[in-house]
Amino acid sequence: MTELLECRDCGHRTFYEKHRCPECGGAEFDGVAAGTGELLSVTTVHVTPDGVREPNALGLAAFPGGANVVAQLDETLSIGDGVRLVGDRELRATDDGPLRGVRLAAVE
Amino acid sequence: MTAFATADDRSLLDLLLVAAERALDDADRDPADVDSVHVGNMAAEAFNRRSGLANALVGGLGMTGVTARRVENTSASGASAFQSAVAAVASGRSERALAVGGEKMSAADTATATEIISRITHDREYEQGVTLPSFGGLAAAAYLRETDADRRDLARVAVKNHANAYANECAQFNKRIDVGDVLASPSVASPLRLYDCCPTSDGAAAVVVEAGAAATDDPVTVAACESATGTHAVADRTDPLEIESVRVAGERAYDAAGFGADAIDLACIHDAFTILEWLEMEELGLAPEGRAWERTRDGLTDLDGELPVNPGGGLKARGHPLGATGISQVIELVWQLRGDLPDERAVDGASRGLAVNVAGFGNNAVCTLLEGDA
Ligand SMILES: [Zn+2]
Repeated sequence: MTELLECRDCGHRTFYEKHRCPECGGAEFDGVAAGTGELLSVTTVHVTPDGVREPNALGLAAFPGGANVVAQLDETLSIGDGVRLVGDRELRATDDGPLRGVRLAAVE
Repeated sequence: MTAFATADDRSLLDLLLVAAERALDDADRDPADVDSVHVGNMAAEAFNRRSGLANALVGGLGMTGVTARRVENTSASGASAFQSAVAAVASGRSERALAVGGEKMSAADTATATEIISRITHDREYEQGVTLPSFGGLAAAAYLRETDADRRDLARVAVKNHANAYANECAQFNKRIDVGDVLASPSVASPLRLYDCCPTSDGAAAVVVEAGAAATDDPVTVAACESATGTHAVADRTDPLEIESVRVAGERAYDAAGFGADAIDLACIHDAFTILEWLEMEELGLAPEGRAWERTRDGLTDLDGELPVNPGGGLKARGHPLGATGISQVIELVWQLRGDLPDERAVDGASRGLAVNVAGFGNNAVCTLLEGDA
């Protein structure tokens, strides 16, 4: 899923699915392309849960429309870099098989 | 409370019983005097394969016929149990309430404990392998970039909290450290290192709350206990340096108490990571935005400073047995406000204290204001 969720009533965007929009209470969301975001912060995590890569480089990125995302970095990136969501990637192994999702990558 | 420890041989239930007995003894009350019991615990099922904690505790105390329940609010379960006890007494439903919080985390290895705790996140966060220190690393990196604080200033938070715990017989660590020790410790979530992070702990804490004139000569008054949720997914906050739940809980508490940040003489802040001490001080109005680090560098948050922060050592050095922490903060304030503590670890002339206990990385926060007699 390289998409964000946009509230049909007020246009608020989020990466994190929920029943209701925190801005207006709306319950309908449409998937929209995330577009180009900016990396606000990065961290390299050295103590990770079982099934998660170690080290795990993570970034916090802001996308247009006010949606922020914390996701694994697909390559080496720095604060201020332009980023996009890329998928789908194998993010962590579980007993029920791998969890797949998006990562942050540099804009081409 | 029990002394917090890396590993305590006693069971979770035994820890809760010891803490409860000590609180009753301190308040000069018997179990029979209590009519409601509020137990704070995050994950006894996962850590200890124990369920039905509240009923087991009251059974152990020989109590029947009381109202009892467990309160779960992840790492703020203790303060939420305290809030539940305060609300029960304030509403008149309970005459005398016992709030007990505890956790025994040593039963799980580090990977398992990390997994249990990371389960509090949103599914989209969980799939990324995000842990609580990950959020701390992201916030710390952003803070160090946006302010003039440097990595050594962050280390000073841990150094201070270890120094404060040195003479605290209930603290997990009675060991002074210096900035070099912090910078030499292994990286956990850059720029945060091991000594920026609180440990996993075993321990329990308890207090008695009652209305009107207390049995003790030197009671401490609950001026306010208020809470607020923030977003569940941390990135749903547009500013990574904001913890809205802490700000709102603080504002509500100041409103309810009728005094503000200026009146606070000492504070117990939820320093699960060094960076959180600064972010929460700023949200609570205890330092201007982007400036809390200067207070640390200038020694204003030291035990003998203008506003001592975490005089008992904080989560960093007193320890962080999840469900016990919020109540241990209240106990530290009570001891300080009553003047019970030896000089070497006492805050001089304190009459108003603040405690903030935070769930997750700001999912929920509980702010308590206490007033002493002095
Ligand atoms: Zn909306």
